Amino acid sequence: MKRALPIIWVLLGLSLWQAGSFLSPDSLVFAGPFAIAEYMQQNAGLLARATAATTQAAIWGFLWGNLAAVVMAALIILVPKAERFTSLLALVLFCLPMLATGPILRVISGPGDIPQIALAALAVYYTTYLALIVGLRAMPQSWPDLMAIYGRGSITTLLFVRARASLPYFFVGLQVAAPAAFLGAMIGEFTGAERGLGVLTLRAMRALDVEATWTLALLAATIAMLGYWVFGWLGKWLVGYVPVIILSPTTSVARKPFWQRLVEAIALAFVILLLWQVILDVFGLNSFFAKRPGDVWMFLNSNADARATLVEAFSQTLMTTIPGYTAGLLLGVVLAMIVVLVPNLSSILMPVSVALRAVPIITTAPLIVLALGRGPVGTITVVAVMIFFPTFLVCLQGLRQTPGQVLDLFRVYQVGRLRLLFTAQVPTMLPALFAAAKMAVPAAILAVTTTEWLATGQGLGVLMALTATTSDYNMLWSCIVVITLAAVLFYAAIVVLERAVLRIYASEQVT
Amino acid sequence: MTHLIRPNRRTFLKTGAALGAASLGLPAFAADPKQVNFQLSWLHSVQFSGSYIASQKGYWSDLGLDVALTQGGPNAPVEPPVVSGNALMGISAADYTAAAVAQGAPFKIIAVAMQKNPFAIASLAENPVNEPSDLVGKKIGMSVSNTPVLQALCTLNNVDINAIEIVPTQYDPAPLVTGQVDCLLCWETDLPVAMTIKGVENTTMLMANHGYSVHSQTYIATEDSIADRRADLVALLKGEVMGWNDYLADTDAAAALTVEMFPDAGLDAPTQKLQAERQVPLMFSELTESNGFGWFTEDTVAANIETLALLDRNVGAELWDRSLLEEVHG
Repeated sequence: MKRALPIIWVLLGLSLWQAGSFLSPDSLVFAGPFAIAEYMQQNAGLLARATAATTQAAIWGFLWGNLAAVVMAALIILVPKAERFTSLLALVLFCLPMLATGPILRVISGPGDIPQIALAALAVYYTTYLALIVGLRAMPQSWPDLMAIYGRGSITTLLFVRARASLPYFFVGLQVAAPAAFLGAMIGEFTGAERGLGVLTLRAMRALDVEATWTLALLAATIAMLGYWVFGWLGKWLVGYVPVIILSPTTSVARKPFWQRLVEAIALAFVILLLWQVILDVFGLNSFFAKRPGDVWMFLNSNADARATLVEAFSQTLMTTIPGYTAGLLLGVVLAMIVVLVPNLSSILMPVSVALRAVPIITTAPLIVLALGRGPVGTITVVAVMIFFPTFLVCLQGLRQTPGQVLDLFRVYQVGRLRLLFTAQVPTMLPALFAAAKMAVPAAILAVTTTEWLATGQGLGVLMALTATTSDYNMLWSCIVVITLAAVLFYAAIVVLERAVLRIYASEQVT
Repeated sequence: MTHLIRPNRRTFLKTGAALGAASLGLPAFAADPKQVNFQLSWLHSVQFSGSYIASQKGYWSDLGLDVALTQGGPNAPVEPPVVSGNALMGISAADYTAAAVAQGAPFKIIAVAMQKNPFAIASLAENPVNEPSDLVGKKIGMSVSNTPVLQALCTLNNVDINAIEIVPTQYDPAPLVTGQVDCLLCWETDLPVAMTIKGVENTTMLMANHGYSVHSQTYIATEDSIADRRADLVALLKGEVMGWNDYLADTDAAAALTVEMFPDAGLDAPTQKLQAERQVPLMFSELTESNGFGWFTEDTVAANIETLALLDRNVGAELWDRSLLEEVHG
């Protein structure tokens, strides 16, 4: 009976869906399962070729992105001094809006699938990187200490101790990455790819081809879910054990004086600006669209109107980003807690969450806005839907990391489930929650700007999209700078909060 | 490498073209065709089928060019690849080109495919917008980035834009069909065609018929290319003109070719066929009939300059350069 339960749910859902489509025949926004099946059958070859093209790009992007994440995370563990710079660079790269990177990648690479692969890689590396950083440190301080006593170097410790400790987190990172890679590849196709699911989606929406739109959304969601489940299964199979963390005593870390940190921050900003200039020069990108730091500085300095436009658009974006971000994090945490409290619910909550995350935002954003209106509620919902998923997964992993001994002790004393959750499990979840909060910063901004571009028509998203018609690339790059700066500041605020909290609850994470 | 010369249509054309090129004082062909990128402004569709005909019938290879047609997309602006030289020629529109030139791009418009701007107001048959004055009190679905376009239409026809409610929508007919808006600002040749194919009775008001004169689907190239690669550009335009002439002769065949050439684009044959018919009156006029495809005159340029000024794009006649087209038709 238990095994049959999901099948019953699926059948029930399908019949409700079909009934709904019978209620509104000839609907031009809604397609039922039969119509989708018919479309699939009639266009099997086309769909297969498109799916193969997008999946291939997504897989390459997935591999490259995760490889980059592993290298960066290993670098940070081996050379802790590099952490600030690597984190900042990773964040800045992740903040670059696809509206800007897509065309530039296309100009650099010419025809082919490099932009799709690159955008898929960009969409995945950051979440994996953050999950790995937490995982590589998720062990008692006594383990690396022991390795040090035996005279083993940090590389050996990384390979034999830290890498194993990080595996559960790594696989969660890969699970989050699978749908993201697929979405990245689809959006990459907007830069002029010849084939793929993204190309077909665009065409279907314009042609009012409801069956095609729904089929494509369903197909994309199914593949993304498959990826999610494959990595979940691989994780279970390969890791095969529940890691035990013995909580460490609080350690005090000496903080550098304020002026020293300030100098460091300025130096980092300088290096980023230098990289910006040098990369554009090395590729010989024309300054008509590839603006350098100096161009943006001159533009903003000399143009009061532009500054005013930018500030207004930014405040509009901020008004929806912050509530959406908060709502998404809360939703993720609450869902994770519900699954821990009532494990049976996970068989419903999990697939629904994966599906919500996997359905391409280009099709969901207009639908959500259609349902909830063009006001802030619609945008906030889109953002929440976009970011709750990584939070949910990572926090669930965090909740499950509670040491067995602690759980046993609580059980011996017959502590209630809620109390167990809040006094034992939530504290072990905190590092994961902060990792999720950091992942969500650029993701939230990305979601807001995409929704603004596609549906609500205000804020920085529209300002950037306007570039396509106005060629005002100074404004586009100014938007990029503002978005990146905002994300970095937001991120820094979370780091400050994280240090204060983790110093008490998970000192092994504080370096 | 020895080529046995077998007289066929292609060698005949080649000879003819070579003679033509020689008479224009152009260099004779090199043995290898020159690789050239041509940047289209949107996804492959019958919108560019003149180019597909030129490619498929070998008009360009006969002129010594190996042309790669690069499609556009929502995140694939035309101007960057043309400015950076990755594409020799691109398809833009007079308003976009004017904006890019204001930002420092050295573009010239060297030919005009759409004599009439394709922007239209689409509405459902039971609640039609036939005149600009019908817009008063209506809800219009459009991208906010097109507000200046609507503003220009209103100014040209003495309509108060504040009496129209602008609803920001994606470029998608669904909001009109579901009744969220009364009309859409869209192209004559895409969303209305999609609605007709889906059996939704609709009507369109072409903005070009109400004073909105902006050349669309214009061919652009940089000043450097015009100076340094003039022969290639002339050959590219020549093939393009031949392709579009064939298109006019048989739009159904052009639509069929488009669907056949791009099996992975998800094109629907009836939609392409209808779109091919609908774009004929936009691309061909008395002017092109007497002077050839792509033509423009001082008068049409002057009308463009006037409308562009309403869009806050102040340009002069020097944005247009007809000399290459004159060589093509000469």
